[in-house]
Amino acid sequence: MLRLKNGRIYDPAHGVDGEVRDLYIEDGRIVAAPGPDARIDRDIDLAGRVVMGGAIDLHTHIGGGKLNIARALLPEDHRQDPLPTSGGMHAGCGHAAPSTWTTGYRYAEMGYTACFEPAMQPTNARHTHLEMGDTPMVDKGAYAMLGSDDFFLRMLASGADQRLINDYVGWTLDASQAMAIKVVNPGGISAFKFNARSLDLDEAHPYYRVTPRQVVQALARAVHDLGVAHPLHVHASNLGVPGNADTTLATMAAAEGLPIHLTHIQFHSYGTEGERKFSSEAERIADAINRMRNVSADVGQVLFGQTVTVSGDSMKQYGNHRHASPDKWVVMDIECDAGCGVVPFKYRDKNFVNALQWAIGLELFLRVNDPWRIFLTTDHPNGAPFTSYPHLIRLLMDKRFRDSKLDEINAEAAAHSQLRSLDREYSLYEIAIMTRAAPARSLGLTDRGHLGEGAAADIVVYRDDADREAMFAQPEYVFKDGQLIVRDGKVVNVVNGALHVVKPEYDKGIEKPLKDYFDRYMTVRMENVRISDDEICTCGASKLIPHVCKGRAA
Amino acid sequence: MLWHFSLFESSISVSSPSVCCPFCGLLCDDLEVVREGDGVRLERPACPRASRLFSIPDPGQAMIAGLPISLDEACRSAAIILSGSHRPLIGGLGCDVTGHRAALSLAEKLGGVVDHMHGRAQFRNVQAFQDGGWVTTTLSEVRNRADLIVLAGTDASRYPRFFERCLAPASQFGELTRKVVVLGDPVPSIPVMDGVSVSSIPIDAGRLGELFAVMRASLAGMPTRAADVAGVSIGQIEALLADMRAARYGVLVWNAAELDFPQADLTIQSAVNLVKDLNQATRWSGLPLGGDDGGTSAAQTCTWQTGYPLRTAYEIAGPRYEPLLFDSDRLLKTGEVDALVWISAFDPERTPPAVDCPTVVLGRADMRFARAPDVFIPVAVPGVQHAGFLHRMDAVVALPLSAPASSSLPSVAQVLAIIQGETNHAAA
Repeated sequence: MLRLKNGRIYDPAHGVDGEVRDLYIEDGRIVAAPGPDARIDRDIDLAGRVVMGGAIDLHTHIGGGKLNIARALLPEDHRQDPLPTSGGMHAGCGHAAPSTWTTGYRYAEMGYTACFEPAMQPTNARHTHLEMGDTPMVDKGAYAMLGSDDFFLRMLASGADQRLINDYVGWTLDASQAMAIKVVNPGGISAFKFNARSLDLDEAHPYYRVTPRQVVQALARAVHDLGVAHPLHVHASNLGVPGNADTTLATMAAAEGLPIHLTHIQFHSYGTEGERKFSSEAERIADAINRMRNVSADVGQVLFGQTVTVSGDSMKQYGNHRHASPDKWVVMDIECDAGCGVVPFKYRDKNFVNALQWAIGLELFLRVNDPWRIFLTTDHPNGAPFTSYPHLIRLLMDKRFRDSKLDEINAEAAAHSQLRSLDREYSLYEIAIMTRAAPARSLGLTDRGHLGEGAAADIVVYRDDADREAMFAQPEYVFKDGQLIVRDGKVVNVVNGALHVVKPEYDKGIEKPLKDYFDRYMTVRMENVRISDDEICTCGASKLIPHVCKGRAA
Repeated sequence: MLWHFSLFESSISVSSPSVCCPFCGLLCDDLEVVREGDGVRLERPACPRASRLFSIPDPGQAMIAGLPISLDEACRSAAIILSGSHRPLIGGLGCDVTGHRAALSLAEKLGGVVDHMHGRAQFRNVQAFQDGGWVTTTLSEVRNRADLIVLAGTDASRYPRFFERCLAPASQFGELTRKVVVLGDPVPSIPVMDGVSVSSIPIDAGRLGELFAVMRASLAGMPTRAADVAGVSIGQIEALLADMRAARYGVLVWNAAELDFPQADLTIQSAVNLVKDLNQATRWSGLPLGGDDGGTSAAQTCTWQTGYPLRTAYEIAGPRYEPLLFDSDRLLKTGEVDALVWISAFDPERTPPAVDCPTVVLGRADMRFARAPDVFIPVAVPGVQHAGFLHRMDAVVALPLSAPASSSLPSVAQVLAIIQGETNHAAA
């Protein structure tokens, strides 16, 4: 048994805010304080240290076909950050589109113990699981993308019963070994294949005549009825378009009270005020989130520097290709299933739009009152690589630091932004909520993201440094399932993570029309889209962790 | 006995009840086969390539310098060769993802370089891709949407079922009148298909770039004053361009292996730039044919593990990518590598290049050599004799391979793991 003594515990799931307590760990789990006779094999004194659960990133593009496109596209970026083979760690590369190995090591070195890939296309799922299988250290999971796939749109257009849609969504989660459902530019990826260049929330799809609103509603209902813990994960229409805040608010309302998660909401909080017809609508968006208890969001914070944007939103990525830096870009239509776009991007602090994007993201963090419903993300790598999280945490926790950065950005953008008037500084307790307790709760991970009895011993220990960036960049200890994996910000023990999936109940009768559809129109058999449980470990995960869903009556 | 192979057989578990064909980049997964001898016989459909390769008429024998030897001895001998090498080339890479993972692991351990047997063709695409990116599509999109298919410098005949799988069938979006235009060979071999009209414009593949450049200029409002370009009349070019602009979903198909001339990457770049430009008004996508002998999986696996799509060396500072310098043929010719591991588990005709350095071959049991390699280790054929994973040419779809004729032969991954383990002893 391992005892972590005298640490200051931040465990929001149990309302523990910086109390000094001991933690006991046995067989990979946190256990109750044993009696005085118990044998303690190892004692670590953590006096003055900050102790939290392992951090969980619920929206990070760590693996899958479009990531591999981004990797292959950017050798010049990798060359800046090569990693040698060392101490049981594989060679690889870092920065914007890191190799799978490096991704796992660097997440663990920041105290993250679980990462969720938010855009797995079912026809690309096996490839995604192969990549995640080579992503060490952390637990993984993926959200299956639906909403622009032709089978779903055919069903919706033909007025199929919601129960049938639920079965198809259940089948997709099961077959692709996913943790949640994501919709990206609802119907829009498909519309782009019919040469549409935009699709507003209530605009009819050029072929199916259904609207994005109907897509969102049908999928949000299905996810709810199937009892999937994480709400429908929505990348809304009109990403990046000035004035899109109206669409975003209308999308929240379209859920009609059903749980809904709006992702990288920073990219969806734009107005059209001012000379440049580009302005912040962070206040309206944050007010709506504060008001609507069924809505959660992650931010997708922009931080300055070179990165690469990868998205299933082929329509909007095509529209953005003019901004590619370096000037090269990839767009792909995928298998009557979805699409993707990869556009390298350099966010510049002296650029008005980029600077305002930066300020809008921070405004959203500071204006949303409830840290249980707003999550810390950069939409890696779209707003910035995940390795910039410690910097982002400091921006949230340290107003003087934030204001000093505000002084450096494009002056016009700084003048337009109300950021300086926001005095809020996140506490350690709030950071622990938004990076641990809240994502675990949102995903239904009952034994992660907290430090209570029975929890998996994913534990992070930080030195309490006033420079929060330095503090969060280099935890003193990271434990994964009770094993010490990182010491002083460096991997000391390479482990592999598990794969989290949901196992909803649905009527397998859906396979009859689905098989007929695949046999008629696809170039792959339906049976081969399905990934068996056994395949997951062959792909590389240490084990499969299934999460039962309790269906909710429609 | 160094290894208990049956343990591995059970650890590779895949779900597909159907048989998927690993022998070209199409990865058709609708095959019916019956077991026969050490391989299987293809029942359906008729595909000359699959017919030839599913049958494996030889149980195989490990050899050192052409003389029979046990598997253990062969692996030990391979390890000794590799331990003595300063920089080996782990080449060929004709295997499945599990094999590629093992090949990368061995290369990392030895400080080796990795390249695929079709690297020269692959890198014509990679160079164009890394320079400007592209807009591409996948097979099911072509099957359902494509109304104009332009084949540039290929008639797709190296992919025997391309037309049957991707162009002949019905579209889910209602009746589709398809046009196929072949730019290239004056007598293309394209099957007759209902609802598909075929025409061709004879042009030397080496001059396709000129044709595409003129078309792009015309799209940009700068028509050429020449009467013809690359032997094609301006009238014909403008008519083709008008058709291309009128297409609802056009697909430009090429096969980098058939664009076999200097600076062919620039021809590919001109093709993908034309596709980009056409997208300003309508929808067009490129479709690069390829992916034979596990080529797509090799590039994908290397990309996610190192960041680079092959032609990468494991050096002290980390992976080093040199797409021009790390061409297998060049490395072998210049002596910049001093040992070769040649992996070729799909096709017995894909034998190693003739080289001066010590060579270890992991090949199909029925592989024959003009000159016996230093070490030959017969391996199971992925998708016939062992299960696994393989990527289709579009890199989106990775399929489970089954083992309709599972064999006692070890897989590439198993042999490489033994050799990697043995290099510890050899180096000690």
